[in-house]
Amino acid sequence: MQLKAPEHQVAGHIAKDGKPGPLVDDKGRFFKPLQGDSRGEIEVKFYESFSSNTEVPEHIRRYFPVYHGTQAVEGSDEAAMIVLENLLADYSKPSVMDVKMGTRTWYPEASEEYIQKCLRKDTGTTTVSAGFRISGFEVYDHKESSFWKPERKLLRRLDVDGARLTLRKFVSSNSFSDIGSKPDSAFASSVYSGSHGILTQLLELKTWFESQTLYHFNSCSILMVYENESILKGNDGDDARPKVKLVDFAHVLDGNGVIDHNFLGGLCSFINFIRDILQSPDESAES
Amino acid sequence: MLKVPEHQVAGHIASDGKLGPLVDDQGRFFKPLQGDSRGEHEAKFYESFTSNKKVPDHIRRYFPVYHGTQLVEASDGSGKLPHLVLDDVVSGYSNPSVMDVKIGSRTWYPDVSEEYFKKCIKKDRQTTTVSLGFRVSGFKIFDHQESSFWRAEKKLVLGYNADGARLALRKFVSSNSPADSNLTPNCAFALEVYGGSNGILAQLVELKDWFETQTLYHFNSCSILMIYENESILMKEGDDAPAARAQVKLVDFAHVLDGNGVIDHNFLGGLCSFIKFIKDILQSVDKRDETDTSLLENGR
Repeated sequence: MQLKAPEHQVAGHIAKDGKPGPLVDDKGRFFKPLQGDSRGEIEVKFYESFSSNTEVPEHIRRYFPVYHGTQAVEGSDEAAMIVLENLLADYSKPSVMDVKMGTRTWYPEASEEYIQKCLRKDTGTTTVSAGFRISGFEVYDHKESSFWKPERKLLRRLDVDGARLTLRKFVSSNSFSDIGSKPDSAFASSVYSGSHGILTQLLELKTWFESQTLYHFNSCSILMVYENESILKGNDGDDARPKVKLVDFAHVLDGNGVIDHNFLGGLCSFINFIRDILQSPDESAES
Repeated sequence: MLKVPEHQVAGHIASDGKLGPLVDDQGRFFKPLQGDSRGEHEAKFYESFTSNKKVPDHIRRYFPVYHGTQLVEASDGSGKLPHLVLDDVVSGYSNPSVMDVKIGSRTWYPDVSEEYFKKCIKKDRQTTTVSLGFRVSGFKIFDHQESSFWRAEKKLVLGYNADGARLALRKFVSSNSPADSNLTPNCAFALEVYGGSNGILAQLVELKDWFETQTLYHFNSCSILMIYENESILMKEGDDAPAARAQVKLVDFAHVLDGNGVIDHNFLGGLCSFIKFIKDILQSVDKRDETDTSLLENGR
């Protein structure tokens, strides 16, 4: 089995300083190292619970990575890894964005230290103001025939207007490295709208979150993926295949009869941002 | 003639020479403008809201009607102070049961002082605000057996966990003695107050729909007031009896800010959670009624 580092990680841990990072194989599988201090165990527990939970409606499962158990992998100190479906396996030039959902990333059951750390980050980003923050993204730049990825530091300093601009950039075709140029939002309707678009998928998730009391998805992200190449090629048959997936379940807790109001509030806010972009394709129409 | 309102369940109360709201006999409510700019802030909100064309008409019913400000003799004897003049939301009810629920998983908001932030987050974490997205601030019920009002103890209310909040919401629509803490609330009025096309749930859902898109205001630290007429339900005979007239009102706008193009996700999340709690009560009452009916049918 040939394992290599994934090409399109936009957020989360990467292989660094001898610490293992995620890996992918050539069979559409993604290997995620178990994070330390019980977070990895919590994530495994979640996947195990979720996979067999009969209360999860079938149409909601599509928003979660398929779980293939855990496996010890050679060359990683035999450390156990979570085996998941590689969400990007079917894409040739995927544009990917990771959005951490919720008006707070901490939760009451966490340690005081962790709570303070999260609070600092939440108040310094759009988490508090907008109910979500963009953790990372990567877009395929056709002119350069390469992927463009902004600096993570820049993303953390985004304010509400910056987040709005970034969501437009994600679906634009004009030059990314040119900070001065306005994003053209050329792919907004192919990616965000339509019966299979991002907005429709987010709305389906929202409906589930209004009543599900199974899990609280603390600090989870929504991953948005789409195929850039087909839109530009202009084939009517191929579409952008936009996809929404929830990822990163190291802090998921039982719902205990209460809905995940934190995630839901943020999700509704995010939905509104996407709607705004669809309603005013020209950025200047927003003010 | 101005007097102390009878049905305050939360907030400042004008009693024993303290500064608090007053009512007249024309259905008006006089709220003293609080010091440190909060009062002015609330007046500014009411002024903006009243003339804001972007607020849909069907949403205005959830807000007290504003009648400007007026200099009025303050309840603590300190002389004439500016007061907000509002429609008294409980006038027109003879024995209203009232509950105040602070909505939102946080009561603080960006750019407040460090001191205020610490005070808020401490209370948010100690109550159900963080865990449920709302907290019960206070409530009172008309007790028919005693022909008097029963008021929930403030300290107990603030100490509620999720089960406590659930119980309070059931108690609020029950007819068995609220003073007896060993009694399971019978939720006798749940269907009439919470359910139905004009019930609390229907009103909350209408509000929720507005909150999913409105970016005009962020209702930090606002409360939802639930009011209904207890007396009429018990006295009714036949189908055309007076209704419970359950009503939802948003109150307390001292910390409202501009939405600036972002929805009030804090309020909305908490509102959705609150809606789920109400729905759960209605479902459990439906199930119970179904079981009761089937027991009857089996000749028991």
